[in-house]
Amino acid sequence: MLEIECAGERLRLLVEKAVHWPRTRTLIVADLHLGKPAAFRSAGIAVPEYTTATDLERLGALAAGTGSSRIVVLGDFFHARAGLQAGMLDAVARWREQNAALELVLVPGNHDKNAGSPPEIWGISEVEDGWLCPPFSFCHKPQSCDTGYVMAGHLHPAIYLREKFGGGLRAPCFCFGPGRAILPAFGSFTGMSNMRPGNGDRFFAIGPGQVLEIDYSN
Amino acid sequence: MTPVAAGSETAARVTGRDAALQRFLAWFKRRRWTPFAFQLEAWEAYLDGDSGLIHAPTGVGKTYAVSIPPLIEWLAESPPGGGESTSVPLQVLWITPLRALANDSTESVLAPIRDMGLAWTAEIRTGDTSAAARARQRERFPSVLVTTPESLSLLLSYPGTREKMASLKSIVVDEWHELLGTKRGVQAELCLARLRNWFPNLRTWGLSATLGNLAEAQAVLLGSASSAGRLISGDLEKRVEVDTLLPRNVENFPWAGHLGLKLLPQVLACLERKKTTLLFTNTRSQTEIWFQALLQARPEWTEELALHHGSISREVRESVEQRLRAGTIRCVVCTSSLDLGVDFSPVQQVIQIGAPKGVARMLQRAGRSGHQPKAVSRIVCVPAHALELVEFAAVREAIAAGDLESRTPLENPLDVLVQHLVTVALGTGFDENQLLAEVRTSHAYRHLSDDEWRWCMDFVTRGGQALLAYPQFSRVTRQSGLFTVPDPFIARLHRMSVGTITSDGAVAVRVVRGAMLGTIEESFIGRLKPGDKFSFAGNSLELVRLRDMTAYVKRSKKGGGIVPQWMGGRMPLSSQLARMVRKKLSEAHHGNFGGPEMSAVQPVLKIQADWSRIPEPDELLIERLQMRDGIHHFIFPFAGRLVHEGLAALVAYRVSRLFPSSIAMTVNDYGFALLCASSISLDETGWHEVFSTDNLLDDLLACLNSAELARRQFREIARIAGLVFQGYPGSGKSTKQLQSSSGLFYEVFQRYDPKNLLLEQARREVMERQLEASRLGNTLAGLKAMKIVRCEIPRLTPLSFPLWASFVQASVSSEKWSDRVQRMAAQLQAAVEKETDGAGSQHAGN
Repeated sequence: MLEIECAGERLRLLVEKAVHWPRTRTLIVADLHLGKPAAFRSAGIAVPEYTTATDLERLGALAAGTGSSRIVVLGDFFHARAGLQAGMLDAVARWREQNAALELVLVPGNHDKNAGSPPEIWGISEVEDGWLCPPFSFCHKPQSCDTGYVMAGHLHPAIYLREKFGGGLRAPCFCFGPGRAILPAFGSFTGMSNMRPGNGDRFFAIGPGQVLEIDYSN
Repeated sequence: MTPVAAGSETAARVTGRDAALQRFLAWFKRRRWTPFAFQLEAWEAYLDGDSGLIHAPTGVGKTYAVSIPPLIEWLAESPPGGGESTSVPLQVLWITPLRALANDSTESVLAPIRDMGLAWTAEIRTGDTSAAARARQRERFPSVLVTTPESLSLLLSYPGTREKMASLKSIVVDEWHELLGTKRGVQAELCLARLRNWFPNLRTWGLSATLGNLAEAQAVLLGSASSAGRLISGDLEKRVEVDTLLPRNVENFPWAGHLGLKLLPQVLACLERKKTTLLFTNTRSQTEIWFQALLQARPEWTEELALHHGSISREVRESVEQRLRAGTIRCVVCTSSLDLGVDFSPVQQVIQIGAPKGVARMLQRAGRSGHQPKAVSRIVCVPAHALELVEFAAVREAIAAGDLESRTPLENPLDVLVQHLVTVALGTGFDENQLLAEVRTSHAYRHLSDDEWRWCMDFVTRGGQALLAYPQFSRVTRQSGLFTVPDPFIARLHRMSVGTITSDGAVAVRVVRGAMLGTIEESFIGRLKPGDKFSFAGNSLELVRLRDMTAYVKRSKKGGGIVPQWMGGRMPLSSQLARMVRKKLSEAHHGNFGGPEMSAVQPVLKIQADWSRIPEPDELLIERLQMRDGIHHFIFPFAGRLVHEGLAALVAYRVSRLFPSSIAMTVNDYGFALLCASSISLDETGWHEVFSTDNLLDDLLACLNSAELARRQFREIARIAGLVFQGYPGSGKSTKQLQSSSGLFYEVFQRYDPKNLLLEQARREVMERQLEASRLGNTLAGLKAMKIVRCEIPRLTPLSFPLWASFVQASVSSEKWSDRVQRMAAQLQAAVEKETDGAGSQHAGN
């Protein structure tokens, strides 16, 4: 866990690939890609089914652990229409029942547009063009926005740390720029894309057990 | 009287055969050729119904050894005069490892057919063939179908192929040595097993360059039917001449990183003397560097110089090949992409830049010139540094002795089997027991265990083992007794992935709104930023953006930029050649410097002898030198780079258990170096213990970052087993949501399905392929019998200098590296000169 200040608010960057905003008791996550293994399996690609269940469990535990009353999902809640299969949907429904008190806000991402909206009964409020909760504006794609500091996902950011004698290490990261922040993907069956330094970004890499700010200027 | 009738029928057939044979002999005669003994032997063996392997150097007419007899047979058996209104149905499947070879093979096959006006057709079917042509072929195959292992496998995935191939008489596998020991070779083995099962009288013929393990090569080709096979040798008196360009001043302190450009003037002179030259380098990056250097030295040759390597787009490669055939090009700078048997008769000269690393490869390259029977093949060698002179002398001797490398066949690669299971299910569908029996007739899977088979079946039908959760998974399902693939989307995905065994994370390089230039490794392009310059396919380019597996570039006016380092460019020194290098060194040890290369390198070896020692074949030389940064040990087993990588890690691991300290390592083809801060003192027995074969595998696993290596190896496996799709142009949106990295799969399997046999295969392949564990074991066993010679050296020696230089390279930036290494070389040279100057007075003093 690492505490930073952003747009005048205190934010806690969690090793679990989420941001906690204590003042508003909000947990912010991006890119869950639920049902991705199922989508793969339906195309004949073998992926074991543990990830959806464990990801939901992690999310529930994190909300409880931080005392959050609200979860904001920055898009790509679902992976694809082909992944919306009974087993996965049941798992989410059960999880929602167990966490019924939580307020859930979803800013739909490009994958959600393919997969469609979550069933109404789950009580997830969908906000099409970004959700404003000053000083932040929650979006899926990192774009500049004059209504507030943008919190986004979509890119699954990672940084590559080179070691002295060849080799290196890739780690998921948070990326905070002057006008927008990009969160790492929360889902465990998701890939990453390497970020490049520049744009005045600060990088916070997620290592085993800790979040570290990396001087990534060269 | 049936027996008599049968007898006369046989007699008639023999007479018919003889008449047909005469027609082909006459055709040879018209071309002023005389068939070689091995060709006649092959014709006869084929006509007798045998299968076999023909090995011969390139350019002696292997093609005609197998393309003629099916024609003879057909002529002998077809009723005279009639039935020639339609073309002859499929007779021969001709499998070639390279698409580039398909054109040439087809032309060779067609030559006698055209001349004699036979009703045969020959067509190509590869990934480049248009969809319309492929569909037409599937309706009615040509008499000879020239194809690749991937395209053949793909054919097996269509129902009805068996019926349409019913007239097939034989399969020819061209350049079998190229497929042997690769997964594409295993894919070919599985296809052959299937075809032989369909058509029991099918004949299989392989064409191969000469190898160290021909009998084994034949066994792999023919599978369980190999005992009856014929091995036919066409090793005629094909003369190969090896010449080396000798540098005027041999540098005493050679280091890798030099690219032989010092010899550029002499190379230019060679190019001026001959009309057409192939200039081979060992890596694609060297190709780019040499191409630029030649162009800079002779700008007027712009139109006559070309570049050819595996990453360049097909259109460009084909146009280069076309110009080579036409003889309108002066020089093509190339890598192994032109190693194979394409017939470029106008090629007059072959130049090899840098060490040959292998005997067979050198022969193959030499054979690109003088590509006619009985012509002399000449190869001009350009050493990149002094020690490579020894390697060239060694390769000449190995060629003379016929001491060639073997290609070890692969065993049980489950990723290829998994792919094949889906392919067969898609095609005819299969009965489990029958298919298992068929798969076991192939050499690669002859020892496949029931458990491994069970696991592969589970993988394609359930996703994983029964107890693990793979809900709603189905790729292959059982319907009315047969395993099939009912889902058309899965079928489409599979067919798209069948051809991808060779491509590894390839990113297309395309000019913005312009031509496609070729492909480049993702790992290279991923490190560039937009605006970075790099050199590719002979062009200076600037990266504009990277999107959808395509690097968009624009041409850059300014030269320079980074030259891509392609993976896999660095072949290790082969055991055969290493043995010969040690022999040449031993001769030098005894003062024998016969031959131009050895006498040129004599001053360098003399310094080695004066300051340290030239090791004998039964000696393991260990040089020790205290420098500012710590104690360096330079150890020379001469076992090739890959073995040394494993060995260095192992020795460092074992030494650090004795003397706790952090140890840095570097390796090259001749030896490896350890640098540690604290003092290591080991006597001869101590070193022997460090080199012990006890606990080898455990120690290796403990000391190597084997998990990381396995993760990387898993990329290929995941692709072949159909877990990872590389969205390629035209695959559309439907596959986009199915793209994922193999690393992700590796992690998920590690966590949720750790017994997944594909993970196990990755670990095994790391041991065997990346570390050459068995060669490493053999090396260690060999070291046991060796005498350890420890030398305290006064300063870096010619043998240790290149190892030290790569230490420096690993720790500083490239500019500083070059400066520092050059400074050190100058210092050492000064020491040599001081000794030489002082030698007289020293002796006088004694």
